[in-house]
Amino acid sequence: MSSSQPRRAAVLGGNRIPFARSNSAYAQASNQDMLTATLDGLVARFGLQGERVGEVVAGAVLKHSRDFNLTRESVLGSRLSAATPAYDVQQACGTGLEAAVLVANKIALGQIESGIAGGVDTTSDAPLAVGDDLRRALLELAGARSVGARLRAIARIRPGSLVPEAPRNAEPRTGLAMGEHQAITTREWGISREDQDELAVRSHRNLAAAYDRGFLDDLVTPYLGLTRDQNLRPDTTVEKLATLEPVFGTDDPAATMTAGNSTPLTDGASAVLLSSDEWAAEHGLPVLAHLVDAQTAAVDHVHGGEGLLMAPAYAVPVLLARNGLTLQDLDFYEIHEAFAATVLATLKAWESPAFCEEKLGLDAPLGAIDRDRLNVNGSSLAAGHPFAATGGRIVASLAKQLHEAGPGTRGLVSICAAGGQGVVALLES
Amino acid sequence: MPTTVLDAAPNLAALYARAAVTARGRGGELPDTHLARHGVGVDRAHLAGYARVCGLPLDDVLPATYPHVLSFSLQMALMSDRSFPLALPGIVHVRNRVELLAPVGAAAPLDVEVWADRLAPHRAGATVDLLASVRAGGREVWRSRSTYLSRGGRAPEGADPADLDVEVDEPARTTATWRVPDDTGRRYARASGDVNPIHLSGLTAKAFGFKHAIAHGMWTKARVLGALAGRLPEAFAYDVQFRKPLYLPSTVQLATAPSGGGWDVAVRNARSGAEHLVGTVRPL
Repeated sequence: MSSSQPRRAAVLGGNRIPFARSNSAYAQASNQDMLTATLDGLVARFGLQGERVGEVVAGAVLKHSRDFNLTRESVLGSRLSAATPAYDVQQACGTGLEAAVLVANKIALGQIESGIAGGVDTTSDAPLAVGDDLRRALLELAGARSVGARLRAIARIRPGSLVPEAPRNAEPRTGLAMGEHQAITTREWGISREDQDELAVRSHRNLAAAYDRGFLDDLVTPYLGLTRDQNLRPDTTVEKLATLEPVFGTDDPAATMTAGNSTPLTDGASAVLLSSDEWAAEHGLPVLAHLVDAQTAAVDHVHGGEGLLMAPAYAVPVLLARNGLTLQDLDFYEIHEAFAATVLATLKAWESPAFCEEKLGLDAPLGAIDRDRLNVNGSSLAAGHPFAATGGRIVASLAKQLHEAGPGTRGLVSICAAGGQGVVALLES
Repeated sequence: MPTTVLDAAPNLAALYARAAVTARGRGGELPDTHLARHGVGVDRAHLAGYARVCGLPLDDVLPATYPHVLSFSLQMALMSDRSFPLALPGIVHVRNRVELLAPVGAAAPLDVEVWADRLAPHRAGATVDLLASVRAGGREVWRSRSTYLSRGGRAPEGADPADLDVEVDEPARTTATWRVPDDTGRRYARASGDVNPIHLSGLTAKAFGFKHAIAHGMWTKARVLGALAGRLPEAFAYDVQFRKPLYLPSTVQLATAPSGGGWDVAVRNARSGAEHLVGTVRPL
């Protein structure tokens, strides 16, 4: 490490639209519509009209090929200055947080003074692709020089080729849906149905309470008639959730994962405003927290025997060690609820001497956390999880939570992602 | 000034049919009737369809051209009525000015009112203005003046001549090229309800003297608005003149230039340079 510490990027706040259930309120909205509306909401909240922001970084996991420059196109349609540069990133469900890390790093290095990180996803207006047979036949047809070649290309098209391919929520190398992967991990770690349902209920109650006390008033802007996350069920109970049939890992009679303790497919977008302390002061905007550090990790879920969504368990100890912290030094924990069991398996792994010694190479387990400091304003089980939008949702709400708790408060963001990856970050007010 | 309040939007296809069979023998003064609908709600799916066809962003405020769609069936009802002095079939939209007085939310119910004004002589016939006003919560938020030309129509003796010219420094710099596909008229007809046959197919357009189907002027106007998304004042007047018909399919070029706190715009044919639309956006 160099002798002069780089400066820290400040988190000034965020904006998101309420998250909608798939094929519902946002069924007609494109990724660009949602991201543009979210950027314009941020512009309105922070007085950024016509402002040239250093860089806008965002992405979508499910992206149509015409959206190759999604973020820049959204900036051009927004009220930001047209001279604001932008680029797309994609790291599956880690996209939003990775975008924030990239913006923060450029700010830390002095390459930009301000930036916006975001993400958007729609499972309703999802791109359909033509099947590979049809695609190849059409490409051949386009390149055919003679009538005979054209006819041969056309003859290759069979009725069955005309069925479009929808994007699937499955791992390319294993063919297993993410829920099926998690079901394996859930069983390995012996995560009970009751614990999963209880975590889900807490997520709904915490998010509902956050809405009720006005915590989300300056984090969410209504969109297309929605004012709250559509998936939120404030009155759900462990008893109600206990009635649901398992949907993942059902080859096991003791399957535990249901639609109630798994995140539903959702549509939505989020954005976070970051800057240097100087830029914040010049613009009269209070700093909520600083993005102190970040870490990624990946596991071999294909041949290595590790759970698909366990990478954050590996990333967090590296982040803690580099910052001279223990897990218990943190005041708030934001662990993305891909599934309730993902959070519980991660926590159990950190409490396990065997896992911490053998897999993480530590002398002692990271230990247990105070559960009352976990996802205190609800998380993805209640809000929903438009893949790339989750990072921005969490960073903005955690920064506000840390600011409310007072200076020197620390928070952890932990997000698992497809492909066996994890992105984690440390924030401090 | 008698005002008739309608409970529902009139059926446009039926209005065209009625207008066609009662086209002959029209003349005389403009009726002073006002037609209104109260508490009109915006259908989000309809708005989304309109936005998609016109290349407009989808959010919670109405594009400045959208209230025209809400008022259009009332305009047609007024013009198709036997008391209206000009024949509706073959009538063309030659100028449109909308004034967005304040952002119009998609959630609030709207009161829409239309009436006719200014029957004026034109070298090819006569023009008439259809005025529309939209109120939200009792306050006027939007108004428009649509000028239509009736070839062979007659205006009263001594009336002031038609006023079709928008004063504009025509922008020279091309900012976008659009390929306008041949189903544009049909798609906009579905989104707007304007099923005038001159937009639907070559065959139906020929019946009214056009060599091909032509794009709706209000589609072109909305498409230009979409190109200016994020670069518009909060309240503005958007005034355009529709010049040469935009035959489908065509490749056209948009030219824009910042002017007077707003924009000067033009849409021209990419090959012939013929001007389809010229206009201005000015803050209010």
